[in-house]
Amino acid sequence: MPSLRELQQDFAGALFAADGTAPVFAIVGPAIATERIAIYRTAMFANYRKALGATYAAVRRLVGTPFFNAAVDEFVRAHASTSGDLNVYGDEFGNFLAAYPHARDLPYLPDVARLEWAIDEAQRAADFTRAPEAVLAALAAVPPEELASVRFHLDPSCRLVASAFPILRIWQVNQADHEGDDTVDLDAGADALLVRREAAGVSLSQQAPGEHAFVAALAAGAPLGEALDAAQGAAAAFDLGATLRKHIASGTIVGVRIA
Amino acid sequence: MKAPSAPLHAAAAGVGLRAPHVAQVRSERPRVAWFEVHSENYYAAGGPALAALDDIRRDYPLSLHGVGMSLGATDPLDYVHLGKLRRLIARTEPVLVSEHLCWSGVGGRHLNDLLPLPYTEEALAHVCRRVAEVQDALGRELLVENVSSYLAFADATIPEWEFVAAVARRTGCKLLLDVNNIYVNAVNHGFDADAYLAAIPADAIAEIHLAGFDASGPCLIDTHGAPVAADVWALYGRAIDRYGPRPTLIEWDTDIPPFATLQREAATAQAMIEKHDAVAA
Repeated sequence: MPSLRELQQDFAGALFAADGTAPVFAIVGPAIATERIAIYRTAMFANYRKALGATYAAVRRLVGTPFFNAAVDEFVRAHASTSGDLNVYGDEFGNFLAAYPHARDLPYLPDVARLEWAIDEAQRAADFTRAPEAVLAALAAVPPEELASVRFHLDPSCRLVASAFPILRIWQVNQADHEGDDTVDLDAGADALLVRREAAGVSLSQQAPGEHAFVAALAAGAPLGEALDAAQGAAAAFDLGATLRKHIASGTIVGVRIA
Repeated sequence: MKAPSAPLHAAAAGVGLRAPHVAQVRSERPRVAWFEVHSENYYAAGGPALAALDDIRRDYPLSLHGVGMSLGATDPLDYVHLGKLRRLIARTEPVLVSEHLCWSGVGGRHLNDLLPLPYTEEALAHVCRRVAEVQDALGRELLVENVSSYLAFADATIPEWEFVAAVARRTGCKLLLDVNNIYVNAVNHGFDADAYLAAIPADAIAEIHLAGFDASGPCLIDTHGAPVAADVWALYGRAIDRYGPRPTLIEWDTDIPPFATLQREAATAQAMIEKHDAVAA
């Protein structure tokens, strides 16, 4: 008789075995073992298809449900869920699609997935009360010689997604409630998006290249001086004052950290 | 432990609240005795789903029903998961907190499904330790729910009903008795559902679940995607005759119907509870 752990290992193995493979543990009525383990296998994959279909609705719409489900099944085999909370499963799906041979002809697909994951994370991020005046006051109190070493806290829902493709437009025309023209010019240029949860819902805003590099550096914890270097590297004409004021006023930046 | 702000009437029929109905419930405030939600759907640090739950919580008693604690697994308990449940309990002050008598993963991989335990002495001792561990970590009584199953292990030595009753007896946890799951298993494994009911101590039962199954496959499958079957209503009637009324929940998770359908199912359960009360008085 197998131990409880051995039985569970065998059961899990049977769920991932090819359809039609009998489990190795003994069940009552051995003739029905294959059929009954298949019920669990079907239910498990259906759970993952449903959960990832909710997160990656635009990806599913782009490729169609049969393609999507086959991709999810492959993804599940390659990337184990490690939490009892299915809502946090699937962050690697964009990277998976980038290497998925059947999606080779859709080079924008991984970035659409990354955008959908960023939106999903923004929906689940901690709540934060904005106080732009307090941020401005804290910044004004910093001695000028220390400004370059100041770091910032960003709204916990902020996510940055950049792509060589117009993924915002692709995402928009693949929303269930989209009406009207749904053509996308794939050569329309790169997107640099700031994803953030506002009171009314998640907002997706297009950023200039320097601005995107700047906010991305701040999000990664870089001090102001380094973030400025990153921004100027991306766009020589970067306007630090205007960008800082914009992101403090709009609530991207919610706090000042003085080392 | 803080007292719930809205007490749950000892015998009232509630509804499992699912995402498609949240906006309607918030705007219409329908007559529903209580709501139950899946705990994990509110494990986020913040955001609109949690804000909606806070809002609903103000007007309705709430029960938290977990699907991912994996009580019967042999990997260590996930204390991150448990911590999120603690946080949600502190925030929403639920009247009931429940998990499933099953396992859901092994070797670091979560399978995110309610998988059947072999009913052995080893599994019983193991799951009792885990229930005790969760109750200690939460500082409150846990309800444990019997699950549907589509196979039975040849090495099992304990009838399911004795296993379920023993978990309650040994740990002091309460039971969430899913009458539909008893019916499904009775058909699938060929036992007498009434003998199952007879083996469960009435004072351990803190809640009853009702849902619909799918009979189109090789065995009954607990899809939560159909009305409660006539045979299950009859079994429910015999359950409340035997135990007395209990908070009873209508669950519907696939092909979710209009909210009014759930209210009608809950009204059927409520009428049976009141009929029992009238006879008892």
